[in-house]
Amino acid sequence: MMAGEMLKSALMAIDEINQSDEFDFTFAPHLRDPGGVVAAYHSACDDLIRERQVDHIVGCYTSASRKQVIPIVERTERLLWHPARYEGFESSDNVIYVGAAPNQHVVPLVRHMLDHISGDVFCIGSNYVWTWETNRVIREIVTSAGGRILAERLLELGETAVDHITKEIIDRKPPVVFNTLVGESSYSFMRALHAAAARSGLSIPMLSCSLCEPELRLIGSAASVGCITSSAYFESIERPENRAFVARWKARHGIDSSPSVDGQSTYVCVMLLARAIRRAGSADVGAVRRAAANHRYDSPQGPVWVDPDNNHCFLTPRLARSVPGCQFKIFWEADAPERPDPYLSNLDLAAIGSGPEKSNDTMTKRSNHLRIVK
Amino acid sequence: MTRPSPFSVRGRHALLVMRDEREISIVRRQLNRLGMTITEHDPVEAPPSDETVDVIVLDADTIPIKSDPATVWKVDAPMIALIGTETPSRLKWLLDLKPASYLIKPLRSAGLYTALVVAFDSAQRRIDEAAYIERLEDRVRSRRVVFAAVLQVMHGHSLSESDAFTLIRRTAMRHRTTIEQLSAEIIAVGGMPNRTTRTA
Repeated sequence: MMAGEMLKSALMAIDEINQSDEFDFTFAPHLRDPGGVVAAYHSACDDLIRERQVDHIVGCYTSASRKQVIPIVERTERLLWHPARYEGFESSDNVIYVGAAPNQHVVPLVRHMLDHISGDVFCIGSNYVWTWETNRVIREIVTSAGGRILAERLLELGETAVDHITKEIIDRKPPVVFNTLVGESSYSFMRALHAAAARSGLSIPMLSCSLCEPELRLIGSAASVGCITSSAYFESIERPENRAFVARWKARHGIDSSPSVDGQSTYVCVMLLARAIRRAGSADVGAVRRAAANHRYDSPQGPVWVDPDNNHCFLTPRLARSVPGCQFKIFWEADAPERPDPYLSNLDLAAIGSGPEKSNDTMTKRSNHLRIVK
Repeated sequence: MTRPSPFSVRGRHALLVMRDEREISIVRRQLNRLGMTITEHDPVEAPPSDETVDVIVLDADTIPIKSDPATVWKVDAPMIALIGTETPSRLKWLLDLKPASYLIKPLRSAGLYTALVVAFDSAQRRIDEAAYIERLEDRVRSRRVVFAAVLQVMHGHSLSESDAFTLIRRTAMRHRTTIEQLSAEIIAVGGMPNRTTRTA
């Protein structure tokens, strides 16, 4: 599903650029669909670069596919514009990372959990790098704040047999569930837990840093409600740029369709690329990279710009709760776009946690104070 | 027995636990140049038990860190880890396998020889250190025996502790044996053994 959302968004951005007077050039997209087959990403990019003389590639959803593409863009000095949030610990000169870094998605959510829900958490996720690394960050922050990881359950990618885990959750009644499942596994789990909790009269908060509006539809209206989600983009962001973006999206894709975080991020990738080319006066990779650095773009999700220190983007972290109607209601956002920290080098564990002895001095030094968004 | 130099890699046998065809071909080509023999092995299969392997080249990204295959690669042969994902969760798993050396992906032909030399050298050092530690542990274990022998000689010969120990040390040297072994004999026979036949 994500690949389709990302493609729709990229083509929408390209059409807007090609129809706009603001750009004195047009984009000619060359489309390749490796279909999630990891080895096919390398050959697709090899073909794009060598046969089509493509300078800039937009795409890759999974880290496994990005790792396939990086060697060839590095060897041939091209740029990969990567839209998806990911687990961090990477910084290639030939990738512009437009999705959220871990300090922009996981950390705000764990901080919220510790401050407002509980320090004791039940983790469930898909058995791959995103979950392993997210769980490691959760464990590090939670244990530093005196909380506990009650369980860490993993399902193979695509697995939809979840009853043994929902039963364990209903039996143990953890104060909060952190869900890093992806795709069908996540949808099955949320439906099953919703049904089981309803039967037992329980209400267990759930957290996610990947859920998006189109997925809420796939999960179903009842089971998708109430999930606290961390993301740089929600359809419900009240900014003129976003209201206009959503209106254009619906005009193009149907009134019932919704942009997603990864789709919007792909749109931002193409826009950042176009603006950098315009600023550089050329599509040359070195010139574009220099032009993209610190060049602010007022995107649907708010101001975005590339940090030349690590080629990741300044983004505004947000937290929201899924509500009826397959939408998110935003209840917190950072005061300002947050500097990307892909290696979590600036994660100050002493400043996170609910203990009053911690909150007195260190909390006030934090750059992101909680702020209520009506 | 002369130990092989870590710089001479010809004739050694490598087990490639990898999946990516492009990277396998880079490693295969370079190992062939170096005169090494190769067995290729599917990362999800259990390690082969019937093969003598001098070095394992293991692509860390091919094995889920929370899975059954994640622990079976704790083996004796020195390991060169191929690293693509530098997340701490992945690296923590890798450290448990005690890699002797590593290479960062994407691979090039350069670097593999260095990784092999470092792996063979650190494997030899590991063997030497293990043997050295075993000798030390033996000596620690026999401290009680030496102490009992010193006491026995102190009583039997009316000597001070340091004179008794000096006598045992000198006798051990004359008999061309260790203090620990002589001490065991002293305890067995209840006094300084009569070993004139073996003295020079």
